[in-house]
Amino acid sequence: MGRYVIRRILQGLLTLFIVLFLLHYLMALSVQIRGNPAILFFGGERTPPPAMLAQVERLYGLDNNCYERTGDPCLVPFVERLQNYASGDFGTTLNGNRNVGELLGIYIPNTLRLFIFATLTLVVVAMVLGTWAARHRGRFIDHSVRGTTILIDSVPVFLILLAYVYMAAVPLTRWARDIWGTESFMGQVFRPNYNPDYPWTTILVPGIIVGTVGLATLTRLVRASQLENLGSDFVRTARAKGLGKMRITIVHVVRNSMIPIVTGVGYLFAFMLSGAVLTEGIMGIPGMGRMIFQAVQRQETNLVVVGLTVSAVVVVLVSLIVDLLYAALDPRIRYE
Amino acid sequence: MADTIRVAGDTLPGADMNASLLEVDGLRVDFTVRRKRIPAVRGASFTLDQGTTLAIVGESGSGKSVTSQAIMGILDSPPGHITGGEVRLRGVDLLQQDEETKRTVRANHIAMVFQDALSALNPLWSVGFQIGELYRVHRGTSRKDAKQKAIELLDLVGIPDAKNRIGHYPHQFSGGMRQRVMIAMALALDPEVLIADEPTTALDVTVQAQIMRLLKKIQQERNMGLILITHDLGVVADVADDVAVMYAGEIVEQASIHDTFARPAHPYTKALLRAIPRVDTVGRELEVIRGLPPNPASLPSGCPFHPRCWAVEPKKCSSEVPPFEPVADDHRSRCHFAKEVYRDER
Ligand SMILES: Nc1ncnc2c1ncn2[C@@H]1O[C@H](COP(=O)(O)OP(=O)(O)O)[C@@H](O)[C@H]1O
Ligand code: SF4
Ligand SMILES: [Mg+2]
Repeated sequence: MGRYVIRRILQGLLTLFIVLFLLHYLMALSVQIRGNPAILFFGGERTPPPAMLAQVERLYGLDNNCYERTGDPCLVPFVERLQNYASGDFGTTLNGNRNVGELLGIYIPNTLRLFIFATLTLVVVAMVLGTWAARHRGRFIDHSVRGTTILIDSVPVFLILLAYVYMAAVPLTRWARDIWGTESFMGQVFRPNYNPDYPWTTILVPGIIVGTVGLATLTRLVRASQLENLGSDFVRTARAKGLGKMRITIVHVVRNSMIPIVTGVGYLFAFMLSGAVLTEGIMGIPGMGRMIFQAVQRQETNLVVVGLTVSAVVVVLVSLIVDLLYAALDPRIRYE
Repeated sequence: MADTIRVAGDTLPGADMNASLLEVDGLRVDFTVRRKRIPAVRGASFTLDQGTTLAIVGESGSGKSVTSQAIMGILDSPPGHITGGEVRLRGVDLLQQDEETKRTVRANHIAMVFQDALSALNPLWSVGFQIGELYRVHRGTSRKDAKQKAIELLDLVGIPDAKNRIGHYPHQFSGGMRQRVMIAMALALDPEVLIADEPTTALDVTVQAQIMRLLKKIQQERNMGLILITHDLGVVADVADDVAVMYAGEIVEQASIHDTFARPAHPYTKALLRAIPRVDTVGRELEVIRGLPPNPASLPSGCPFHPRCWAVEPKKCSSEVPPFEPVADDHRSRCHFAKEVYRDER
């Protein structure tokens, strides 16, 4: 077990390092080919005095002449960047000169909340519906579950969100406020936009909506893996042991079906990332998705690199968690 | 767990201790495959007495596993359906009981050992958990006591270092040890009947003999009824008391092991005996039964064995179904010429 964990962690770190280097190299190439982004600091139109430009370049870590040699991997700035990240220094924004580290302190928790709600929704709903469909295979319930989840899944998230924000949120909020008051959970939960005073409550509904991404896929995965296990020899043994239906499902089927489901959730995470960009935009949630989107719009190279670094860390972390869950679920992996 | 059953004194309501331990009477099982009914077991009848071992022998596909699953009440349904007959445990027809009673009977009264222990044990739980589960669910035993009992069982079936092995997972055992785990699990609630469906088919020869001896020893110590299912008569020669030979979903001959070997009364049994490797046949080519087992979806008319039978009388055998009749005390055969075969006159 210990060796397995250490090996997976080292693999994760290596992956992360490679991703960060590629990211850095792409950025360096973009500076080398497209020109100095520090000029943007001066509005991008006129030519700034060389002394001031040099100062700004120093500020943004662009004061290295490797940026003038197209194709140079710029290793020295790369190492400097890693050192800065390690010491908690993520630089400042070109626009407004704000500390990126502080921004991350606000953005990351918000996106995390969104993902927690989305993942919980996805896993719980898919597990319940998939288990239910498997137990009623080929019958009405099975077909209804399939139809409903495909319907929900096939409507793009942003359409559900727009419909919710513009049609349901306002009347629901008004109705809830009249009964429970503005400052109550119910008075906030249906708000059409984010409220920094209620970060959990106002992210709940968008989180649930993001959780519908991939619902049909995961439900079918749950159903298929449970059916496979229901027909297995060890379930026959469990029946021969005189165990009840409920216990067989919970103890001998669900856990065995978790392995493909964990894979599925890890995979759907990437799709949820793109859902997060849209959701944070529409609901005005200050999170990582919105940050990256705006950074690209405003050509904030550093901010884009930081944002992509964070999402690379998240993806590596998720696949590490998936691997550890495998080991926790399956002793054959633990004791390989 | 909500489904803990408490059994009053562990006895079956209505049980008659003077009745035979297990009587299977005219059992019929059909499978529905693509809206067609396929008869897998067609009126199987046999009796198992307390303290004896009955071997059910037959080629693959003859309906042995389906019969045992029907007795246990663990038939996959759909596609399988029990369409007739009785399975009487001490006189109580199990097929007529409600689901709750059937569940109590499994493991408490009739337990089963499956062929492939690797797939029959759940790969994700330790063997201690899977054995202890029986005590926890059926007896409400605490986790700690259940573990202790599981250790004792592993010890009983000859697993060395049971105390430490209890936390191991099925894949960490060798094939033979895994089958011992299965046996330990089947014995947990002290059943009166143990059904072992080809318990040694997946094992190599030396281990086969060890497992057979273990089963026999336990059967004698606990005075159980043991049903040993096999496709190889040779494997059960030393351990069985009685033999039921199965062909195309029917019992075609039932007799004591001695009579089966000494004076078989069915041409199929005789053919099976000639197919067993023995010291005096070493070096000679073994006889195999010609032809293939019949397809249950389209059985031959008359006697289902007639296309392969060496004693066939084509006209009679292909048109009339032979009755299951005694040729001697406790010796029955389903053949038009049973008496002649029995007396070695045909
Ligand atoms: N799940 C199933 N679906 C359809 N037919 C089945 C199924 N299981 C068994 N059968 C039928 O029952 C017959 C007997 O099978 P089985 O009892 O497993 O034979 P064996 O004597 O080898 O144990 C098979 O030939 C097959 O036609
Ligand atoms: S009835 Fe005829 S075909 Fe069937 S076993 Fe006897 S002799 Fe052979
Ligand atoms: Mg079989």
